[in-house]
Amino acid sequence: MRNAPSLRRAGSPRRRKDLLFCLVLLLPAILLCTAFILIPIVDSVAMSFTGYKLANLTKGTPGVWNDFGNYTRLWRAGKLQSAVWLTLGFVSITVALTFLLSMSLALILNTDPKGARMLRSVMMIPWVIPTVIAGLLWSWIYANPYGLLRYLVSVFTSGRVTDFGILNGKSTAIWGVIIAALWKQIPLMTLLLLAGMQNVPDDILEAAQIDGAGYFTRLIHILIPYMRSVIAVTVSMCIIENFKQYPLFATLTNGGPMGATTTLAVLSYDEAFVNYNYGSGAAVTTVWLAIMAVVVLLFNLAFRRRQS
Amino acid sequence: MNRQKAARLSGSILKYAAIILLFAFLLFPVYWMLATSLKMNTESSRMVPTLFPQAVSWEGYKTLFDDGKFLVYYWNNVVVSALAAVIICVISVMAGYALSRFHFRWNVLLLATFSFSQMMPVISRLISLYTILRRLGLTDTHLGLVLAVCATQVPFCVSLMASFFDGIPKDLEEAAWVDGCGRTRTLVRIILPLIVPGLLAVSVYSFLMTWDDYLHAITLVRSPSLWTLSQGLKLTYLGEVSDWQLINAASTLGAVPMIFVFFFFQKYMVRGLVAGAVKG
Repeated sequence: MRNAPSLRRAGSPRRRKDLLFCLVLLLPAILLCTAFILIPIVDSVAMSFTGYKLANLTKGTPGVWNDFGNYTRLWRAGKLQSAVWLTLGFVSITVALTFLLSMSLALILNTDPKGARMLRSVMMIPWVIPTVIAGLLWSWIYANPYGLLRYLVSVFTSGRVTDFGILNGKSTAIWGVIIAALWKQIPLMTLLLLAGMQNVPDDILEAAQIDGAGYFTRLIHILIPYMRSVIAVTVSMCIIENFKQYPLFATLTNGGPMGATTTLAVLSYDEAFVNYNYGSGAAVTTVWLAIMAVVVLLFNLAFRRRQS
Repeated sequence: MNRQKAARLSGSILKYAAIILLFAFLLFPVYWMLATSLKMNTESSRMVPTLFPQAVSWEGYKTLFDDGKFLVYYWNNVVVSALAAVIICVISVMAGYALSRFHFRWNVLLLATFSFSQMMPVISRLISLYTILRRLGLTDTHLGLVLAVCATQVPFCVSLMASFFDGIPKDLEEAAWVDGCGRTRTLVRIILPLIVPGLLAVSVYSFLMTWDDYLHAITLVRSPSLWTLSQGLKLTYLGEVSDWQLINAASTLGAVPMIFVFFFFQKYMVRGLVAGAVKG
């Protein structure tokens, strides 16, 4: 009893010292993230409301408020709307297909087919390959006239279509990017889903099977509910990843043909670093950030509501 | 009984067919890259492609090593990625330890900020990052690039590292404290040796991720002598008329070492990735 107050008194400076120690440990991470992430984001949102061009940068003059000029100009040119729809389309199709294919692959690998261990590790190869190289690799497969895809299409149509270039057509170009994105992203999602699957208790699945529940019943009523949090995390990651996608567009289509693959990422890059209109580029990224935040939030809300 | 057997058989045929299809999709492009890098361009530009190179040619690799530029890009990338990996490791060991061991009220806020900044598209901050770095005179330098790519990886790596620290019992530090060992010495002498798997996971992960960087390099670095690999590949070799043997040889050299790095550290990497994502 008599020891208690002295202990507390001894504990207090220790706690203060800990706080200081903790702060010192966290300082580099906080400084780096503030200087290179948080400040630039705030700064770029502010920049989006001003006219800020190359001259401002070279002379060091601040941008001037221009009454939402960047936004209205992009809107009137129709660039913003088309980029928003393209981005939403690209993200939803890619995420849906990535999830479907990864889930199927994870379910199959979870049954321990022959060579499962080997398959699981070679599966990761596309994930390790740098995105730009992935883009180069697929642009060679898509190449018109010498690419592999053109040849396969001409074989499957028995010679009727001989000059198929997926990236040359306005309606097909986005699919070329989607395929490359799937190739790059399926491995990681499969790995994570597979890890989540291993936490599903076997005995419940077995009990359901004995009770006569079919494969799909077990999948929908037991496996997927148990994997809810893993699915939520991996799908959000995938949504964010595809919203951010730029290198594949840069190597495969560069936004073309005729703007058919100009997503928000491509548009903002072109506005800022090709046209040197930094304010306008920042306006695109501000819209982009807002849409992404809304989508991720909606997804998480929907997922949480279904959970409860 | 027979029907059940037939169903099971067709199920397993379906299963293996799906495996073959999906793995062909995932792996064939990689084979195609290797094969094309060994084919003469005249062979690659036939109307009917050859599955195996008929005459193996090392011309693409020879050109890459002789033209001098490729090795410069490669070396730049090694320098940038290695430096970034070291910095990220140091920062995330420090911050990860703090987040795992000391539970102060603002930790939650910090974690939220970290995951928020992880979400942000790179381009959204590149525009103003470029203007900021330019004012500091850090554009067109490797230092500016390294710091920028570090900042993108730090949030995830810190939480990854924290999850490894969470796996180490606290009693060890208590014992060290009782023995009169200070906080810093405890961290360096006692905890650090135990966290080697985490260090490996974080350093390999951050090396691979910074090796993958394209956007930072292409906006922050302008002089060709400082270009990194992805940037050099895109800007030098992918032109109007593409030399596919050269491009595929360059891609192979850029990708294969990373595949080996991954296979070598696979155990740690997979554990780290799963812990980083599945736990959350």
